[in-house]
Amino acid sequence: MASDLLATILSDDPKIRNRSLDGLCRNLSATELLAACAQLDRFRRTSDNLYQRVRALFFLSGIYRFHLPPKLPPAAFGLIPFSGYEHTLNRRFGEAIDVFLATVERQGISDTLASALAAVYHELGFQTLANQVRRSVRSVHGNQWMFRVGHPMDNPLRICRELLRQDEPEGIYPILRERTPVRMDLSHSGWSDIFFLGMDYPDGARVLNVSIDLGVQGRDSAPQPPIEVSLRVIDEPILRLVSVDLKAKADVRSLGEVFDFACDYLGLLKAAVIAAGLVPPGLEASGQELSDLLARLVGPGLGLEIVSKVNNIPKGSRLAVSTNLLAAIITLCMRATGQVSSLTGGLQESERRIVAARAILGEWLGGSGGGWQDSGGVWPGIKMIEGQPAQPDDPEYGISRGRLLPKHWVYDTNTVSMATRQQLQDSTVLVHGGMAQDVGPILQMVTEKYLLRSEPEWKGRQQAIQILRQIEQALAQGEIRQLANLTTKNFFGPLQTIIPWASNHYTQTLIDRCRERFGDAFYGFLMLGGMSGGGMGFLFDPKRKPEALQYLGELMSSTKKELEAALPFAMEPVVYDFSINNHGTQAQLCRHDEALMPIGYYVLVAREWFHKDSQQLTRAERVEASRLARECRAGGQLAGSAEFLLGGLLPQPPQEDQGATTLAETLQENGFDSKLHEQIRSDLRDGRIGLAQNRLPANVEIEDVQPGDVRSTIDGAGRECRALGQEALAAGEVAVLTLAAGAGSRWTHGAGVVKALHPFHRFQGKYRNFLEVHLAKSRRVSAACGTTIPHIFTTSYLTHSPIARALEQHNNYACRGPVVLSRGQSVGLRTIPHVRDLRFAWEEMPQQILDEQAQKVRESLHAALIEWAEKAGCGSDYTDNLPLQCMHPVGHWFEVSNLLRNQTLRNLLEERPQLKYLMLHNIDTLGADVDAELLGLHIGQEADLTFEVIGRRMEDRGGGLARVDGKVRLLESLAIPREEDEFRLTYYNTMTTWITISRLLEIFGLTRNDLEDSAKVDTAVRNMSRRMPTYVTLKDVKKRWGHGQEDVFPVSQFEKLWGDMSALAEVNSQFVVVPRLRGQQLKEPAQLDGWYQDGSEEYVDRLCAWE
Amino acid sequence: MKITKAVITAAGPQQSRLPLQRFVDLDGSEKSALEIIIEEVVAAQVEQIALVIRPGDQDLFAEAAGIYEPLLTFVEQPAARGYGEAVYRAADFVGDQPFLHLVGDHLYISGEARRCAQQLVEVARSEECVVSAVQPTRENRLFQYGTIGGRPVAARKGLYEVENILEKPTPTDAEQHLLVPGQRAGHYLCLFGMHVFTPTVMEILQGLVEADGNQPVLLTPALAQVSNRERYLATELRGTRYNIGVKYGVLITQLALALNGDEREEILAQLVEFLANREATG
Repeated sequence: MASDLLATILSDDPKIRNRSLDGLCRNLSATELLAACAQLDRFRRTSDNLYQRVRALFFLSGIYRFHLPPKLPPAAFGLIPFSGYEHTLNRRFGEAIDVFLATVERQGISDTLASALAAVYHELGFQTLANQVRRSVRSVHGNQWMFRVGHPMDNPLRICRELLRQDEPEGIYPILRERTPVRMDLSHSGWSDIFFLGMDYPDGARVLNVSIDLGVQGRDSAPQPPIEVSLRVIDEPILRLVSVDLKAKADVRSLGEVFDFACDYLGLLKAAVIAAGLVPPGLEASGQELSDLLARLVGPGLGLEIVSKVNNIPKGSRLAVSTNLLAAIITLCMRATGQVSSLTGGLQESERRIVAARAILGEWLGGSGGGWQDSGGVWPGIKMIEGQPAQPDDPEYGISRGRLLPKHWVYDTNTVSMATRQQLQDSTVLVHGGMAQDVGPILQMVTEKYLLRSEPEWKGRQQAIQILRQIEQALAQGEIRQLANLTTKNFFGPLQTIIPWASNHYTQTLIDRCRERFGDAFYGFLMLGGMSGGGMGFLFDPKRKPEALQYLGELMSSTKKELEAALPFAMEPVVYDFSINNHGTQAQLCRHDEALMPIGYYVLVAREWFHKDSQQLTRAERVEASRLARECRAGGQLAGSAEFLLGGLLPQPPQEDQGATTLAETLQENGFDSKLHEQIRSDLRDGRIGLAQNRLPANVEIEDVQPGDVRSTIDGAGRECRALGQEALAAGEVAVLTLAAGAGSRWTHGAGVVKALHPFHRFQGKYRNFLEVHLAKSRRVSAACGTTIPHIFTTSYLTHSPIARALEQHNNYACRGPVVLSRGQSVGLRTIPHVRDLRFAWEEMPQQILDEQAQKVRESLHAALIEWAEKAGCGSDYTDNLPLQCMHPVGHWFEVSNLLRNQTLRNLLEERPQLKYLMLHNIDTLGADVDAELLGLHIGQEADLTFEVIGRRMEDRGGGLARVDGKVRLLESLAIPREEDEFRLTYYNTMTTWITISRLLEIFGLTRNDLEDSAKVDTAVRNMSRRMPTYVTLKDVKKRWGHGQEDVFPVSQFEKLWGDMSALAEVNSQFVVVPRLRGQQLKEPAQLDGWYQDGSEEYVDRLCAWE
Repeated sequence: MKITKAVITAAGPQQSRLPLQRFVDLDGSEKSALEIIIEEVVAAQVEQIALVIRPGDQDLFAEAAGIYEPLLTFVEQPAARGYGEAVYRAADFVGDQPFLHLVGDHLYISGEARRCAQQLVEVARSEECVVSAVQPTRENRLFQYGTIGGRPVAARKGLYEVENILEKPTPTDAEQHLLVPGQRAGHYLCLFGMHVFTPTVMEILQGLVEADGNQPVLLTPALAQVSNRERYLATELRGTRYNIGVKYGVLITQLALALNGDEREEILAQLVEFLANREATG
């Protein structure tokens, strides 16, 4: 009953408190669920206990998302009030809820409104949690004062005298250097280090983590602390920040620049400087001068230089390199200002704790977020990190059950012997698999599942806690093989029970092949950090480790080659050498000859020296240059670095792979129409087309459809239709057309991999990609109707070869019918966006406002990207990337018309003259199958095109079914003049379309026979193309550089869209409403979990006949 | 507890001449800082004073003490081994008696009829333990002072049990270790430069001095040990301390004396005139 839900939230008894939402809701009717929601909503408004409030919010979100919709009448659709949506965008979630609930009061509950409420409760839950973490971070003793400093005169810190004492006779300042290991988790007990978990469930928050030194196999002679940060006083009143790895250097002269995190690559260094109190956060927007602050902090006319280096350890290593770098810079700055008792050597426990708290603050300032144990590298050796219940003296007391900061228990050598440590080292091969993935959605999923206490996940969590205890024992007993068994069990058991997406096809393949090759000598697998694919551990019999090191390098490389079209790899895989660091972070003061920066630093600054006349060099620069020259000579500390230095200073010839094609060649191969491109570029430049011009005129009347405009098939289309459809199926009159030419930008945020080939989920124990799922559906239908169904996949320059290879390699995934590829005949070249389009997208279009700090970072990034566009030349060709990343597919309208141009349809008709219908669908519409009833309905109503639509949900943005000046048609959101109009449309376009082939040809002005005549077909397509609107869009494209680094740029491209066919007067378009499970699309990996939980996965599995 | 002796330190390398600085005191007469300090001590009914100085400074200080010279016993600190060692130099002078201790570079202006030292000594007499005078200080000045952490003594306004004491802490340390309930946010209780010590303090200092014959001995670490050995209180006095050893210290101290003294009106008038002329010419 409803009161059970509240009792679950309020109870102190773990048996009651840990009951799952699923269990509590399973047997409740829709009316009872709504009553429960009303009660929970009242509770969350009045409760002053943060975590009870948050749990109520997640219960509400869960009920509206998963439990209520299946219990509502099947066709219960409604409209989302735009004002509620606007509140949501502006993070006024409370107001949005009020608007939605008032609408429910008036209209009754619908699937649509339930989706809106689910989304908003979800957001409010996370916002409440984030606010609390932020408050806790600020209220940690030792952090509070920094928020009170609002003027340089208030600054209480002074640089240590030792750092101001110049070495004679050269007159140079000493360098204070911090060297810090990174951390490797042996287990995090099911992501229990997420702040929200640690603060709500401190007894379950336990992480076993090891500080390690790293080296890259084959590159570095021995492992060393990968993080090295240097600080010194300089003779200029500026803050000079340098990242050797990112090759970035900035002379920061104003406070505004210090707080501008995204304007360069030095955001992390800036966040560290702020979190360390050098530039206290209270000074943001104070209008004061940085030089005044530095004068007080360091001395009049003086400044500070901070140089960071992570030894080129690639991003995504899952070893918390960023957080430990942040912690190292913070430690160094705190030492330099006396906030840490010793200038050199290690830290005391209380100092490490304040460094950890400051690192959390820095993460928040930079708009990122790590776990509370991520700064573990600051501590020495192996340690158990545990959540702590909040005590009366803690700022968290009475608010959350646990403290923000955990407690670290460093194991001494009696607990874990030196021999065991050595064995662990000798058995483990640490790697970076090369994949780049965003772990953020996974952490959100974990939090949500924890708060809902989903049954399997809660059991998994308990199991993970148990496994950690066993790992502790194995470590104490020196049983490394047992330890590896346990980490493997952890990965395949609780971790994947909680989050199936923690693994992937790549990881699974690596593990399988290691098992095959090494048998018993492969001890097991260790997932590092939030998910696998990047940093990972493989444990072997120490005797076989040298072989394993070699093998894993080769295996990862070859497996990456196999899968790189399907999975987002950011870099070549790397094998590390590592050793346990038993000291934690350490600092030394370097004077005289030792006071040298890393060689990479000199590559950056020497460039500037070269640009100056020797007279213009400052005294310090002259001294530094002459020391560099001296030390680079034989016998010097930097001996042997001269070549590296020179290589960095002189321009390098472009590194082109032998045989790699240039952009021009690739464009030519793929039917690039330079005249059309020139026309589009000039239209863009002159403002004839653009984001604002995509829209229909404002006087166009846009209304929702009326009852007779659309036919619902939610309860089926009827027996007659089924018979008609089955007959057509049996006669072989239908083929499937899957649109697989697109780049799937949202799937990998512009990584340019083939979405169709992404093995996104394990069906029947095996990872399957989108292609395979669609073929498996056709296999089932074919078997049922006793025939084979031809399957056409449209492809593009980006997807054609990989899809062709995959089909060949997997023998068409055992599909019995013909599988045909329809290769794209057109391609576009991306252009640098116009500032007016960027501003339109970011400033005029409604945007989801982010959490306070993340929003600041985003705004700073937008400013930087506008500057980039201006510098790169608005409207000019985008060529500064890999050729394939510079090109774009030109929209799905072309994918259909290409069928005519590239002879695919002609060939198919020749082979199957009986073919009459096509079912077109998007690659990510997993629930679309050749349904006999829908086919029969299409045939029966003698439509040219029958479009499938679904009832709208909050997340369905992109247009819908509308009456446009009285004409019923699909309308792209790009074309909708007023944002609010979209919210008046009940139905959302699924893109799935039933096509009568003969009518399609007629619409193009063609007959079957004309398909032979390519000139006639080309003309027909061109003529029709002119009638289709051209949309200008902004897409994100990733540019990869350095060691796993990625930049995302917005680029302009154009497209023509299939749905606009419904606007043609001569086309008999019909519209049918289909169940959501059939019509919904999977656009982002973050949707996977909901898709898995809400029955969609089961639905798709049922549609498929797997081989 | 009977307090008849006082120790004033004036041997610090940077501060050794500061007590010789001349000021116009509250009553309008010109005196050396040392005389003003001695008057502070004498008002607290102290009868004998040890002055810790650098070798060779005795004549200057004797002259600066004016009429109070007979009260003084000069104790030399041969090498600059820190503030703690300077105090310890007076061990023979104080013997096994409690004593009042002041620094030679601070002047005090009381906010009531009793002078600051008198207020302090009265607390020590009634509580019979070590007492340090403290003053709430904003965190941006922490780098200048020793700072205590502790808790208020029940029902005794301005009196605190000292639990912790750090020399010139950063606010990071202060927030973690020196928070005192009841203080305004960002304010800490910093030492006033005025204490009443028991012989225990000398014992602790002796231990520190003998532990390493060359290392400087600071007073604050010794005080940190006091709270583990015996009751240690801190008291807020009605008054203000002025450090004449910092930048503009002499000027500010003189202004404070003038604006709190008998000639306040005259000085105010001159200041107004000064400001008005600045406005007119500026």
